Amino acid sequence: MTPENTIRTAPHGILVETTSAPASTADGRQDPRPPEPTSPNTATPPTPTPRPRRLPSPIRPSAFGTQDAMILIMAAVSSLCLVWVVFYQLTSLSGGLGFLVCWYIGFVALTWIATAQVIERQVATDRAVAVVVVSAAMLIVAIVVFIVAWVAYKAIPSIHWGSLFTKDQKSFVVTDPNALDHVGVVHAVIGTLEQVLVAVLIGVPFAIATAVYLNEVKGWGVKTVRTVVTAMSGTPSVVAGIFIYSMLILTHVLTYSGFAASLALVVILLPSVTRVVEEVLRVVPSGLREASLALGAPEWRTVWSVVLPTARSGVVTAVLLGIARIVGETAPLLFTAFGSQVVNWRGYFNHDQGALPLVIFSDVRQAQPVLINLAFQAAFVLMSIVLVLFVLARIFSRPKGKNGKRMKPGPNDDDLMARLFVPIPIEQNEENR
Amino acid sequence: MTTTLSSTSPADADHPTPFTGTPELGQPGQVDAHDVCAWFGGRLVLETVDLVMEKSKVTALIGPSGCGKSTFLRIINRMHEVVPGAQLAGSVKLDGVDIYGPGQRAMETRRHIGMVFQKPNPFPAMTIAENVLAGLKFSRVSPADKDDLIEESLTKGGLWNEVKDRLGELGGALSGGQQQRLCIARSLAVKPRVLLMDEPCSALDPTSTLRIEQTIKEIASEVTVVIVTHNMQQAQRVSDYCAFFLAEENQPGRVIEAGKTGTIFGSPTDQRTFDYVNGQFG
Repeated sequence: MTPENTIRTAPHGILVETTSAPASTADGRQDPRPPEPTSPNTATPPTPTPRPRRLPSPIRPSAFGTQDAMILIMAAVSSLCLVWVVFYQLTSLSGGLGFLVCWYIGFVALTWIATAQVIERQVATDRAVAVVVVSAAMLIVAIVVFIVAWVAYKAIPSIHWGSLFTKDQKSFVVTDPNALDHVGVVHAVIGTLEQVLVAVLIGVPFAIATAVYLNEVKGWGVKTVRTVVTAMSGTPSVVAGIFIYSMLILTHVLTYSGFAASLALVVILLPSVTRVVEEVLRVVPSGLREASLALGAPEWRTVWSVVLPTARSGVVTAVLLGIARIVGETAPLLFTAFGSQVVNWRGYFNHDQGALPLVIFSDVRQAQPVLINLAFQAAFVLMSIVLVLFVLARIFSRPKGKNGKRMKPGPNDDDLMARLFVPIPIEQNEENR
Repeated sequence: MTTTLSSTSPADADHPTPFTGTPELGQPGQVDAHDVCAWFGGRLVLETVDLVMEKSKVTALIGPSGCGKSTFLRIINRMHEVVPGAQLAGSVKLDGVDIYGPGQRAMETRRHIGMVFQKPNPFPAMTIAENVLAGLKFSRVSPADKDDLIEESLTKGGLWNEVKDRLGELGGALSGGQQQRLCIARSLAVKPRVLLMDEPCSALDPTSTLRIEQTIKEIASEVTVVIVTHNMQQAQRVSDYCAFFLAEENQPGRVIEAGKTGTIFGSPTDQRTFDYVNGQFG
C-alpha cells in the first residue's frame, strides 16, 4: 500500500490507521467507506474481501473490547495504589469517603491518560466523559437499590404476614414479647389509600383542566397562571399542611381528619400534575388540532376527542407520578390527619386517621424494637404500593393495538416519547408553532 | 384599517339564512372569493384576490412559496382565523352565502368546506374506522349505517381495498400515502360541498401521489376541489382551472392570472405566468 493510503480520515474526523487496527468485529460496525478505488498505475494483486474494521471512535461500553476493558481495570487499580500511597502514606489523611473521592478522580484521570497513550487524545476525552456519565448513572441505580434492599432487609425478617394486613396498633403491649403477632398497619394502609384516592379525585380533574387552559387557550392569563403554578410547585409540603391546618382546622371548619389530609395533598398534587400534563399536551402535534377544527369540531371537542386521547398515556403517567409524589408525603399529614392507632375508614371526614408515612415517622423513633420493626414494615408496604402503581402505569400507558389488546413493548419503548405517547411522527409538531 | 369580518354588502341581505340545511350537504358548491385581503400581525400578505372556484371542478392554486396560496386556501374554510394575529377583508361566498357573514359559525362552514393538509394527520388515538367517522362524531351526527358510510368514504378515498380487513387498527399504523388517503376519506365522510387540499402530495412518494391524483379525479363530480400544489405537472394532470399566485419582492401575494388550465399552461397572457409554468423561476 502507498503511504497516503495508510492514514485516512474516519467519519468522525479522527485520524485512523487503516492497516494496524485489529480486524475485530466486536463492535459489529461496518466500514462506512466505499471500497477503495484501485489505482490503474499499480499492479494490484487480487484484493482480499474487505473485513469490517474497528474504528477508535466513540463506542458504547457494551462494545468494549479487551483492550478497552484492560485500560479501565488498569486505571482503576493504578489509581487505587497511587491514591493509597498519597493518601495514607505520604499525607496521612484518613477517612473512607475522602479516599473514595480521590480514587475516583484518579481513576478518571488515569483512564484519560492511558487511553490517550494507547489510542488517541480525542478518544481519551470521550472515554473519560463516558466514564463519568456511566458512573453517575450507576451511582443513582446503586442508591435506589440500596434503599430498597435496606428497607426490605430490615422489614421482611420480622414481618408477621398474618397480622400485618389484618391488625392495627391498638392492642400493642410493651411487655408482650410476641407483640408483632398482635399489631399491624392495616389502619395506616386504609388511611393512606383513602387520603390519596380522594386527593387524586379532587386534584387530577383540576390539574388536567388547568393544563388544557395553559396549553390550548391564548391570552394574558396564561403566563400568570403558569408562573403561579410553578411557584406553587415550589411550595414546601409542610406549608401545604400548615395552610390547611390554619385555614380549616383552627377555624373549626374541619377536625383532624383524613379529608383535611386529602386537601393538603391536593395542594401538592395540583402543580406537579399540571406541569407534567402541560408538557405532554404541548407535544401533541398542532396538525391534529387543525385537522379536527377543519372537520367542523368545536374547540372543546378537539381537546376532548383528539388532544387528550392522543396524550392519554402521557396523562396517565403524569397522574401516576403525582400519586407517587404524594403517597409518601409526611409533613402535611402531621397537622391534618394527625395519626391514629386504630382502623378508622368510616371516620374519614371527622376523625383522626392513620397513614403509612405517619406510622413510619412516629414508630421508628420509639424505644421498642417491635415498633421500629413495624415502622420498617410500613416503609416496605409503602414502597410496594408505589411499585404497584408504577407497574400499572406502564401497563395502562401502553397504546391499544388491534383487537383492543395492549400492545407489547416495542423496540422504541425505552424512548420517552414512545413511552408517553401513542406512536406519532414527532416532527409534525414543528409546524405552526 | 382592517376588519376581521367582511363588510356586509347588499348581497348578504339577500341571503341572511345560514346554510344549515343538511340536504345541501353532498352537493358540490361554488366558491366566490371577492376582494380578499389577508394580514398576519399587521403585515399584508394577500391583496385583492378575486377568484371563482367552479362547481364540480378542480381548481389548482399554483405559485412559488410564500405567495399566499395556503393562506387563501385557509381563508376559504375559515381556518385562517385560527392563527393568532390573522386578519382579513373581503368576502368569500359559498353558493352565494357569505361564509363570513353575520350569524355564520366557523364550525358549520368547515363542515361544508373540508380540508386536507400537507402532512397526513390521522388521529393517532383512533382506529381507521373511527378516523373516518370522526367528523360526524364531532358534529354529533349519527349516520344511518356506519359500516356503509365507512366503506363508501374509504372507497372514494381509494383506500378501501387496502384496509377493509383492518378497520380496527390505529390510523397511525398505515403508510404515509395511506394515511393521506385516510385523511381524504375522513374529510369526505362528512359530505362536504368543497374540499380544499393544501399540497396533499408534497410529503408522499410518486406512487402515492398518483393514487391521490386518481382519487381527486374520481371525487370531482361530487365535490368541488381546490388544490394548492407546487408541482406543475400535477396541476396540469388534475385541474380544470388554474390560478397563478405571485408575491413580488416586498409585495403581498396577488393572483397574476387565472383561467382554464390549458390556457394557463399553453398560452398564458402574462409573461410572469409563462416564466413560472415553464420553470424559468420559482
